[in-house]
Amino acid sequence: MPYWYYDKKDLQNTPSFRDGISTDTENRYRKEGARFIIDTGSKMDLGYNTVATGVVYFHRFYMFHSFRTFPRYITACCCLFLAGKVEETPKKCKDIIKVAKSLLTEQKFASFGEDPKEEVMTLERILLQTIKFDLQVEHPYGYLLKYAKCLKGDKPKLQKMVQMAWTFVNDSLCTTLCLQWEPEVIAVALMFLAGKLSKFEVLDWNGRIPKHTAWWDMFVEDITMELLEDICHQVLDLYSPQPQSSGGDSPTGPPPAKMPKNDKKPLSVTPPTSASPVAAAAAKSAVTPSKNGAEMKFEGKLEPLRYAYPAYGALATYGGVFAGALPPPPRPGAALVAPRVYAEPPPPRFPPVNVPPPNYFPPPPPGPPPRPYYPPT
Amino acid sequence: MQGVSAPREPTQPVISTNSTILNMREKEKYIEEFDFPFCDESSKYEKVAKIGQGTFGEVFKARARNSNKKFVAMKKVLMDNEKEGFPITALREIKILQLLKHENVVNLIEICRTKATLHNKYRSTFYLVFDFCEHDLAGLLSNVNVKFSLGEIKKVMQQLLNGLYYIHSNKILHRDMKAANILITKSGILKLTDFGLARAFSVAKSGQVNKYTNRVVTLWYRPPELLLGDRNYGPSVDMWGGGCIMAEMWTRSPIMQGPTEQQQLILISQLCGSCTPDVWPGVENLDLYNKMELPKGQKRKVKERLKPYVKDPYGCDLLDKLLQLDPAKRYDADTALNHDFFWTDPMPCDLANMLAQHTQSMFEYLAPPRRPGHLRHHHHVAAGAKPAAPVQDSGYQDRVF
Ligand SMILES: Nc1ncnc2c1ncn2[C@@H]1O[C@H](COP(=O)(O)OP(=O)(O)O)[C@@H](O)[C@H]1O
Ligand SMILES: [Mg+2]
Repeated sequence: MPYWYYDKKDLQNTPSFRDGISTDTENRYRKEGARFIIDTGSKMDLGYNTVATGVVYFHRFYMFHSFRTFPRYITACCCLFLAGKVEETPKKCKDIIKVAKSLLTEQKFASFGEDPKEEVMTLERILLQTIKFDLQVEHPYGYLLKYAKCLKGDKPKLQKMVQMAWTFVNDSLCTTLCLQWEPEVIAVALMFLAGKLSKFEVLDWNGRIPKHTAWWDMFVEDITMELLEDICHQVLDLYSPQPQSSGGDSPTGPPPAKMPKNDKKPLSVTPPTSASPVAAAAAKSAVTPSKNGAEMKFEGKLEPLRYAYPAYGALATYGGVFAGALPPPPRPGAALVAPRVYAEPPPPRFPPVNVPPPNYFPPPPPGPPPRPYYPPT
Repeated sequence: MQGVSAPREPTQPVISTNSTILNMREKEKYIEEFDFPFCDESSKYEKVAKIGQGTFGEVFKARARNSNKKFVAMKKVLMDNEKEGFPITALREIKILQLLKHENVVNLIEICRTKATLHNKYRSTFYLVFDFCEHDLAGLLSNVNVKFSLGEIKKVMQQLLNGLYYIHSNKILHRDMKAANILITKSGILKLTDFGLARAFSVAKSGQVNKYTNRVVTLWYRPPELLLGDRNYGPSVDMWGGGCIMAEMWTRSPIMQGPTEQQQLILISQLCGSCTPDVWPGVENLDLYNKMELPKGQKRKVKERLKPYVKDPYGCDLLDKLLQLDPAKRYDADTALNHDFFWTDPMPCDLANMLAQHTQSMFEYLAPPRRPGHLRHHHHVAAGAKPAAPVQDSGYQDRVF
């Protein structure tokens, strides 16, 4: 099985980077592509699982190809199209393209070529090969719900915290976090962040044993404060003013010198153990937010952690991930919002099949069963 | 014009609206030359023979060109006439095969591709590559020279139920149980295969019902609840098929060969008795229960009619438990594995010795018809396509029911 996790060095030396696209620009393309999948998916009433799966395919795809070779919006459509089928929520290709067209400027849609559907069909095969037919992807959502079930405390506050964590997970799709850490780790980190911001202090949890110093010790071993903070900062960076966008709407730069080479490298599943003990949480050791995959450094002078954001509920307006510097409130009614009742079991490894896939494909013709049989004559 | 498809004549000038993005020619060259690290070319295998013809495409026996010369089975993913790209059924099959790893489930080694070239419009063909198994059960049963002792039949059934137990524990329904989808290696290991109709299932919570298509399972192995339009079925559909296959171990050909759904229900009633709310509470709520003309007053004769073939009383009893009309009464894999049939003498015994006497692969596709004028019940035999030479020592058995 391929190992889909990369360290920050690998995330800087991508095919796009080797193709002359700056890391900042690549990260912007990733963000825009992911956002576009989320928007297209939401507009088509696709659930969070399908959308997230599409986004993960998208990020993985560009670990092997350059944004110069494959423009981002059509790849995004293709990823959503495939994810729809994999997650048993299929949408017709032409419908996805229709929605995409409505969301994009004419200029951006031009990258779909003369026959967009044919383009997506060809691209789908390339996508499948690139992701090694590794179709089943897990997301942090289920883990959020699972963890929340174990936490003890004020119910409404807990619920609010989960909602916030859920929104962070949605937004984390716009980062490369899914290329760095397992969904469990991301779930822990973003729930930790939501806990801080919503002032939900986890004092106790079901299944606690003496050696646990924090609730997440129950679920992920050896997770360090530094790692948690690094992950949180990567998400919070989405809400800060964006670095000057360079590179414009289309990739520029010299043509590729050589074919992209695959810098895949297995990483240890557990985060490094060298970092500060979990108990240091109270100490609020500050780290320099890692920008675009830069190595994390400790600064001599500690700046206060950016956990000092205003209380979550106070935010009135939210115009999308990149609109302001503040974490967004949940958008009620949207497909990606956490269910109000989080006492649900986490999604099983396979998507639940209580509901049949809507009939996007024409119903089977009446008459013979799909597998023909040959009656004895 | 930055298209990825639509091959052009090499001489045609390429207009690019944006010089910073690869033009089409460049992209085609890129696709042709990109060495997908995770998806090898199918040319690493050398086709030896066609061994199956299926819904998605042909199945070939092939041999690795590398040093180990390992045999594999390659199942082509048929994508012609696909308006919606890579078929969702093939995606399901792949997803499920990647999840299932068990001695009694066929092993998917990898997925291979043909090179994308101008010739195929830069669209690869894909093959599912499996560990090769020497026989399928339909092929073995159609060969009169293959004789299963009682212990060997027990071994087959035990492995089949082990496989079902495993997939059901993983919340997967096979939905196409039949002898042709049961593979047996030359060392006697049974493998469930063909997850082309399989899907994940969830246990319906109260007040909530599943709605699966009931147009699954080859007719002769289709359980009564599917024939009556049930859309909220579960693992028991596979257990019915398991029962049909078990009986076939003795009868050597499918026990109920209905030409239509109606006829199939009649055959089932003639063997298992009429479908009534008495023996099957809730049957009256199934969609087709009132719409179909069902045989009335039929008595259950499972043991009576199977006894001449299945002399072993434990075997008869287990068959009786698997061929229950009411899915709720039908044994599940776990219960079946605990049945005395598997725990009394003769105990299940290895198949390797018996199979060692046969040096030729036996597949349904390669076997001659089971009776003159009989169409083989595999799928979509292309008109005029002649199967490869049949195995020499096989014959056919008369239909028994
Ligand atoms: N791994 C394998 N080893 C040997 N034969 C195989 C293997 N897989 C499939 N076959 C043969 O090919 C036939 C068709 O394959 P199957 O997966 O059942 O496809 P379909 O969906 O077309 O029925 C099987 O009945 C069997 O005879
Ligand atoms: Mg088959």
